[in-house]
Amino acid sequence: MADDADWRRFEQMAMPHLDAAYNLALWLTRNADDAQDVVQEALLRAMRYMGTLRLESARPWLLQVVRHTCYTWLKENRPAEQVLLDDPEDAWRDLAASSSNEPPALAIRKADAQQINDAIAALPVAYREVFVLRELEDLSYGDIARIAEIPIGTVMSRLARARGLMRTALAPNGRPVLRTVARSAQGGVST
Amino acid sequence: MMTTGEAWKIDAFVDGELDLAGQLEIEQRMDHDEALRQRIEAVRALRESVREKADRHVAPAGLQERMTTMLGAARREPAAPAAVAKSSSAGWTQALERWLAWRPLVASTAFVGLLAVTVNVAVLQSSQQDRLMDEAVASHVRSTVGQHLVDVASSDQHTVKPFLSQRLGFSPPVRELQLPGSVFVGGRVDYLGGRPVAALVYRQGEHVVNSFVWPDTAGSDTAPEFALERGFRIAHWAQGGMRHCVISDVNRDEFQRVVDSVRLAAATG
Repeated sequence: MADDADWRRFEQMAMPHLDAAYNLALWLTRNADDAQDVVQEALLRAMRYMGTLRLESARPWLLQVVRHTCYTWLKENRPAEQVLLDDPEDAWRDLAASSSNEPPALAIRKADAQQINDAIAALPVAYREVFVLRELEDLSYGDIARIAEIPIGTVMSRLARARGLMRTALAPNGRPVLRTVARSAQGGVST
Repeated sequence: MMTTGEAWKIDAFVDGELDLAGQLEIEQRMDHDEALRQRIEAVRALRESVREKADRHVAPAGLQERMTTMLGAARREPAAPAAVAKSSSAGWTQALERWLAWRPLVASTAFVGLLAVTVNVAVLQSSQQDRLMDEAVASHVRSTVGQHLVDVASSDQHTVKPFLSQRLGFSPPVRELQLPGSVFVGGRVDYLGGRPVAALVYRQGEHVVNSFVWPDTAGSDTAPEFALERGFRIAHWAQGGMRHCVISDVNRDEFQRVVDSVRLAAATG
């Protein structure tokens, strides 16, 4: 099934995207050791259906596997992270509606690296992944839709929401971005 | 003013993801809608600020090496992953996709088998690495307590480099370090991991720095990995087709500066 040429091809296509894989895994797990484990496991998974790998889409293909692996990992290790995945699609409208006191672009440009990293890390995971794929991996809406397995319309609304939360977090005296809270802390323990 | 229901259009506009008619429509509205213009400016500011300042994490060299080794092992030993794959033949890919899509928690024997191979490879690799570290420490200690710090005592790179090249069969980068307080003492031929390596010796104040260099077979450059071994600081990395291993007992910050200047010297020498 997998002969030498297949392996070589897989290595040549997948390995150039190791940084992208690690970047996504680290932003989703927010822990460097966990990210390494996730990437390693994702590559093991990827190796086994490398038959579906095409050169022109190697990066989204690999990132899709990494994302799958991340979510499996999050489900097992941090069940609380899943909560906001079911955020109603129109929740971002609340934020969009309060645009009257939009922070000036100047304040956003003045934010330092630490503030920006913290604000991204504080985004609920469903928004964080779309935001990271767009702003740090520079992927198109179409690729993001494929990786996150959501319609393009959902990519758009989640991205708008993610950016809204980021703007609020970076505004002077801005209130902190909504943090994901452990379910148990809210009283209801999920199983 | 844009209604809240179409706020996403602003983001799509900034990302260049609207169709032509949509792009043009927003451009026209921008001219006479100050609130819209400000919102677009805020999205652009965020976009530029994030791209400029946020961390885009780079895979650590250790991970890169492990993955390369893992792939290499899988390729050389088709008995491990491929034989398992064959055993379940055609339905395998579909079964796997189902498994990935729905039932990520169900452990398959293939996965466990492959994981075992990986763990073995990783352990093998780390024990090789450990042995190299041990040897580097031993060599460093020998050089500092014995009489044999250098084979050729010279601060002139044009004396040291040919001396080492003649005895080693490769030509290591030889340069003094652009670092305050650093003195280039000379070089010697040493052995690490069963192969002859170049050892360049520097003094940093009272401390001795040994910088080992040998040809690298893996190829691509890697970022330095730092370790602390029996009180000595060690950094190793691949650069320009050479494997570098620097060891000393200077403090952490000083060691970082030493490693930086060795990398710089290797890049220019």
